[in-house]
Amino acid sequence: MTAADPSTADEHTTAGEHRPATGTPVRRKEDARLLTGRGRFVSDLVLPRMRHVAFVRSPIAHARLDGIEVAEALDVDGVHAVFTGRHPTIAPVSLRAQSALPGYVETDQPPLARGKVRFTGEAVAAVVADDRYRAEDGAEAVIVDYDPLRPTVCAWTDPAEITDPVHDEAPDNLLLSRTFRAGDVEAALAAADVVVARELTTNRHGGNPIECRAGVAHFESADRRLTFWSGTQVPHLVRTQLAELLGLPEGDIRVVAPDVGGGFGVKAVLYPEDVALCLMAIATPDVPLKWVEDRVEHLLAATHARDHRYVLRAGFAADGALLAVTADVWCNTGAYSVYPWTAGIEPLMAGGLLTGPYKLADYECTVRGVATNTSPSGPYRGVARPSTVFAMEALMDSGARALGMDPVALRRRNLILPADIPYRMPSRLVDDSGAYEACLDRAVEVFGLEAWRSEQARRRGAGERPLGIGVGIYNELTGLGRAASAGPRMPFRTGHEACTVRVNPDGAVTVFSGVTSQGQGLETTMAQVVADALGVDYDAVTVRYGDTDSSLWGFGAFSSRQAVIGGGAANLAGAHVREKVLALAGALREVDVADLDLRGGQVHVRGQEKPVISLAEVARVAYLQSDRLPEGFEPGLEGTKFYDPIRGAFAAGAQLAALEVDPTTGEIGVLAWVCVEDAGTIVHPVIVDGQIAGSIAQGIGGAMYEHLVYDDEGNLSTGTLLDYLMPTSGEIPELTIDHVSTPAANPTGVRGVGEGGTLAPNAVVAGAVADALGVEVDDLPVTPARVWELVHGGGAR
Amino acid sequence: MRITLTVNGEQHRLTVEPRRTLADALREDLGLTGTHLGCEHGVCGACTVLVDGEPVRACLMFAVQAEGCAVATVEGLAEPDGTLHPLQEAFSVCHGLQCGACTPGMLMTAAHLLAVEPDPDRERIRAEMAGNICRCTGYVGIVDAVASAAAALAQDERP
Repeated sequence: MTAADPSTADEHTTAGEHRPATGTPVRRKEDARLLTGRGRFVSDLVLPRMRHVAFVRSPIAHARLDGIEVAEALDVDGVHAVFTGRHPTIAPVSLRAQSALPGYVETDQPPLARGKVRFTGEAVAAVVADDRYRAEDGAEAVIVDYDPLRPTVCAWTDPAEITDPVHDEAPDNLLLSRTFRAGDVEAALAAADVVVARELTTNRHGGNPIECRAGVAHFESADRRLTFWSGTQVPHLVRTQLAELLGLPEGDIRVVAPDVGGGFGVKAVLYPEDVALCLMAIATPDVPLKWVEDRVEHLLAATHARDHRYVLRAGFAADGALLAVTADVWCNTGAYSVYPWTAGIEPLMAGGLLTGPYKLADYECTVRGVATNTSPSGPYRGVARPSTVFAMEALMDSGARALGMDPVALRRRNLILPADIPYRMPSRLVDDSGAYEACLDRAVEVFGLEAWRSEQARRRGAGERPLGIGVGIYNELTGLGRAASAGPRMPFRTGHEACTVRVNPDGAVTVFSGVTSQGQGLETTMAQVVADALGVDYDAVTVRYGDTDSSLWGFGAFSSRQAVIGGGAANLAGAHVREKVLALAGALREVDVADLDLRGGQVHVRGQEKPVISLAEVARVAYLQSDRLPEGFEPGLEGTKFYDPIRGAFAAGAQLAALEVDPTTGEIGVLAWVCVEDAGTIVHPVIVDGQIAGSIAQGIGGAMYEHLVYDDEGNLSTGTLLDYLMPTSGEIPELTIDHVSTPAANPTGVRGVGEGGTLAPNAVVAGAVADALGVEVDDLPVTPARVWELVHGGGAR
Repeated sequence: MRITLTVNGEQHRLTVEPRRTLADALREDLGLTGTHLGCEHGVCGACTVLVDGEPVRACLMFAVQAEGCAVATVEGLAEPDGTLHPLQEAFSVCHGLQCGACTPGMLMTAAHLLAVEPDPDRERIRAEMAGNICRCTGYVGIVDAVASAAAALAQDERP
């Protein structure tokens, strides 16, 4: 960083040379440490006197806890303590996900099981020891007496069969139900030329970041301060929630999320283990406690998602117009209403976004969140929409078959178009995009749809391996502001982010952003946005985030919101500080501020190449030379701004793929995969494409491989990565990613891209296999076994 | 048990329990936290290091089995002056990493691949890298990076 030296001012970038950082694939600031093994992950953290925690987890899905015997565990070498749900520090505390939604049944989640266990893998005790090995020795020596109850695993079990409800407060296991209604759906169905019906299920799977959950909690008794290093996506929310749960002033809690090894929603939850760890740290003051989850624990007890059933009808007019949709939806919420998002997270998203990019007036959809004796469901990249896009596109494909229409033409007939914007969806969400047809057109062109159709026909004629074409069009709800806040009427409203931009005394810039990063490159993106808004070089900007003691406020990473909202705050804060710099520079050089420009860390009179003063000199005056500070100027050079987009930015996307099926083995081969998204203005093209590629890969994982399977007794039978198949470079095909760009109405023009890619692969894979084989694919994942069944008829459901 | 092993060219003497994994010995006893743990059952590949030049899952190998061995970890890839290894450079340029959790294992697997097979095509790269799971990138940037590093290394070798 050379801007600190005013003597170099003359050599500095001239007006013609200075280029904005936005739109440029600058080197990521994260890379230097992450590539050299110098990342700072929670699991890497070592503190003096630190001890290690291992949780004892229930091997039974549903049981009364008759007693926990810890004496033997306490005898194990190196074991210092064993905590259970009855420990006086832990017993009074419950996580209780709240929502003002009518009919929502609130339930408690204890930090460590109390009275009974509700899913296999629930933490019932925690052992504190000198190291992880001894903690696990201790955990093995804890003896738990379980009195089994009848488990419920399936969310669409007949309520009459439920003898032992998961929570006493919900005898039918129903935690939440809501009906979305628009128009008169039965009349519209009666008027339809064609009515199609589908029954679909989607497969439970999860985020599975490569770094599992991790936390270090340290309570310092002298000043009663708690520091919690956590691999969380939402440090400020965690601080607020911990303050409530632990009864500590919020200012005495510091939550730090340093480098986090992937999140995808799974780490946007405050978990009972997190709360237990903090409570144990309070009970053993001045001894930092560390818990690093292993993969087996993660598969068992981190949140799952997408275990849904859809019973659907759609009515179409003879010209292909979509007239009506009815839907009955069951979402398996697992054993607990996920904190703080509630059991509503998936069902409400499903009902609100089911109709996706399609115009529809008459709609009726009842969604349910049903508790079962399985790991809780929570946010996972795309929340519910990978399932709803599959459902909606299945209706489109059925409609096209029934009408004898081209499936792409039928979709095009019903898309929300630019002329329809703002479009009020039947769920009353307001769509500001309308770029669906542009995305579809571009995708059709890049994919070469006609050529693939010809190849399909040729193969059919020649009796070669069947080829199918799948289509998925979607709207990604990104950057939600206060008017469309994420979450079901929770006690907090997630519309805004804060950003502080500070010019240091040496003229370099430090940004304290409310965003967090789990790989999305936000350290880089925020630096780009601030560099341009302020008028300095990208290299002059350093970004700090993920620490509640340094950044004012951020809700964190979820709902594809950070580039939109955090980026908006960064832009506003940068522009605000730029004004301060120019005002001070103008006063110091006696030049009209309106004539001044700041670029590349140098203040220029507009149109002149030679700078009048450097940012470094302005900063020196602001901090160190108050004798030069003009009348009316306060010392210091920083500013903080909040941004709230109020509504949000819908991001349109379309994916097309050509798949071939081996009828003998059921194996599916991906021949081509194209995705076109409207990311609005693109800050870092390579990061944006990386987000899209990664989310498509996760979508393909969910569509073809990943399945968390419980047996009837509630045992997870896919408890390792040998059974739970995450796709590798051998499975994920080459991906073609392209863009249309309609800048959104926010300070940077960006639309979120974190989740869009995950939304289509279920629809694309199922649609392509159906197209290849001339069958309907109703259940996911589309594994070789399922394909084989579809080919051979027997056993298909 | 007392063991002696060489890590990134430096000899270390350690006293470890027989059950201690090589990964924990590297991370906790030697402070080399660049080697990451993703599954601790040998599937994800995040903990891949080279032992006497061969890629090994450090979570599946006991530290005592590394007695007398030369271990290479991600911390040893760059030059002592900080110049990045061509693979590290290519991973940055091609966006072959996002969160960085799988990256050390990816880099070590790729380093081994290019050591034994300097000019793999994309299909070979995909097949050889398939023992390492990345949850962020969709592998596009990783395959690009390995191919690009192979080209850069070939350029360096040229007389």
